Amino acid sequence: MNRQTKMVSIDKIDCDSQQSVQTPRLDRRALLVGAGVATAGAIAFPLVRSALTRPQPVFLARHQTYDGPLARTISDGLLAAGLDPSSLRGRRVLLKPNLVEPSRARLHMTTHPAMVIAAADVFRRWGAEVIVGEAPGHVRDSQMALFESGVGPAIDSEQIEFADLNYDDITTVANRGRASKLARFSFPQTVAGADLIVSMPKLKTHHWVGMTAAMKNMYGVLPGIAYGWPKNVLHHAGIPQTVFDINASLPQTIAIVDGIECMEGDGPILGSMKRLGLIAVGLNPTAVDATCARIIGLDPRRISYLKLSSRLGPLDVAHIPQRGESWESVASPFTILDVPHLQELRMNPGVLVT
Amino acid sequence: MKSVDRALDFLECQSDWRYATRTAPAAEPTAWVALALAAHGRHEAAARARGWLLDLQNTNGSVGIRSDEPAPCWPTPLAVLAWNLIGAVSGTNSNSTGTTAPIVPSRAEQEASRCAVAWLLTIAGETSLTAQYTGHDTSIAGWPWVAGTHSWVEPTALALLALRAAGLVDHPRARDAARLLYDRLLPTGGCNYGNTIVLGQALLPHVEPTGLTLLALAGCPDSQGRIAASIAYLQGTLGPETTSASLAYGLLGLAAQRTTPAQADKWLSACVEGSYRRGASLELALLALAALGKDCPLVAISTNHQAA
Repeated sequence: MNRQTKMVSIDKIDCDSQQSVQTPRLDRRALLVGAGVATAGAIAFPLVRSALTRPQPVFLARHQTYDGPLARTISDGLLAAGLDPSSLRGRRVLLKPNLVEPSRARLHMTTHPAMVIAAADVFRRWGAEVIVGEAPGHVRDSQMALFESGVGPAIDSEQIEFADLNYDDITTVANRGRASKLARFSFPQTVAGADLIVSMPKLKTHHWVGMTAAMKNMYGVLPGIAYGWPKNVLHHAGIPQTVFDINASLPQTIAIVDGIECMEGDGPILGSMKRLGLIAVGLNPTAVDATCARIIGLDPRRISYLKLSSRLGPLDVAHIPQRGESWESVASPFTILDVPHLQELRMNPGVLVT
Repeated sequence: MKSVDRALDFLECQSDWRYATRTAPAAEPTAWVALALAAHGRHEAAARARGWLLDLQNTNGSVGIRSDEPAPCWPTPLAVLAWNLIGAVSGTNSNSTGTTAPIVPSRAEQEASRCAVAWLLTIAGETSLTAQYTGHDTSIAGWPWVAGTHSWVEPTALALLALRAAGLVDHPRARDAARLLYDRLLPTGGCNYGNTIVLGQALLPHVEPTGLTLLALAGCPDSQGRIAASIAYLQGTLGPETTSASLAYGLLGLAAQRTTPAQADKWLSACVEGSYRRGASLELALLALAALGKDCPLVAISTNHQAA
């Protein structure tokens, strides 16, 4: 594939897509990447196969603080991961933080507003139109979520538009992953219309699937008006399966992980704060999540949604070149609940909590 | 309250009602607007909102999200409430010459409500006799957000209110709904979307579902003190920083439980200003209803029924 990513219509490649389903055209979403590679997302499988074997770098920065030069770190990370900033001019970039159930008393539950502002600053300087969007999964009052997390006042002060994905108008897209029984997804039009989605999760343990990072964060793009609060439709269809399916069906998605103050123990809501001082950046969310799993002491090959997502990106270290710090140098095993389905995810025996 | 009048003026002059100005008209904001306008005597606009819901209704009686989103149908109980609770608090019509003729649902609204309730009674959340990691009773069938999934607090509370408005307060499903809602209250007070204890830890309460649940459980027995604890939770949580929707639901719940914070009007006015700036029809409607306190029709149907 040459440097100018081919403008390819998905309709021509994915012959199995339902004709009645609106399929986003890739030409609005082709991202010119420094390495000349279009990474996985809504791209059909022939292109995905190339993403699997081609290295997917992940950038790690340590000793980060929320009052530090986050924009510089994020910018460095995106460039190191292979992003070509010139491709972003005039593009619509959706920043997607995790505001699942915000509380001022538990800020380690949600993406820190400083991360969101820093990322917005970077993309704006590169000429992109930036919008922040989220569909909190546990609370219907999105204004409450914005206020309690601090993200609302922060983006207001920077005049960044917020899209409430829970109540947005809907576009139906085919389920390109097909690991679950769901034939299609109802995506908010803000999501379907984005040229680039930036998953900005908080790095946390998760008491059902082990970890929540860039890929599980994408549960939060689905509207509650179609899926409920919580998004029980997805749980019934299988959490690992739907995490994979959603990520396989989205427009181009990259990841900037808030690993500065994380959550360990009984995540994703009631766990304890763990200070890691980490920012992780990558253009392939699967590679980013695999790296984050290793950092917190979990084997990515044992995490169900990551096993499925090996169709979207690499899990093995050999195919994830390290930029910045190595994952081993920043690794710090997280405590996890003492239940069998979580214990078996560990790379090595570690501290368990009840 | 001047701020509430401003909110009502805004709602009355809209041609339709949406979640956000850039999205399409939707059932939930329209239903709440219908309720608010009717309760405050703005009957022409209220009738217009109810008419929009009539047009949206599916042939099976359910009401979906928007005109091009006929499912899921969790807004159905909201439409039932809108079609039934159409009288003003004072009984006056803002365009009238001062007469207080009763306002009753039209024949179309009555039929729509009957069909909607019939559909509602065919829907139940998925149940399970055992729940390994969760603390609530998963065998009680309430209402789900989406057909084929588990029962959760808000759709069940709305369904219970709808059944009461439709005169079915003693229906077995209404009694089960009350039982479910009580079970989903945290022992320490309040509730969230509908989980209590997961993997041995009690989850956190939130204002909005707590308020709606207390509204729905008004007059119900409190054998374990969970309602009292939930009232205390709201009283200790509501304040000047509470956002509009949460404040409105919280105040409605407290009003149904016969208590109102002294600063409620002040908080309401501040929230109306913020919601008005954002053109948030749903929030303005909720705030307008909450401003009525115990005179809100939703509170009246909750406090007038016999205990379940």
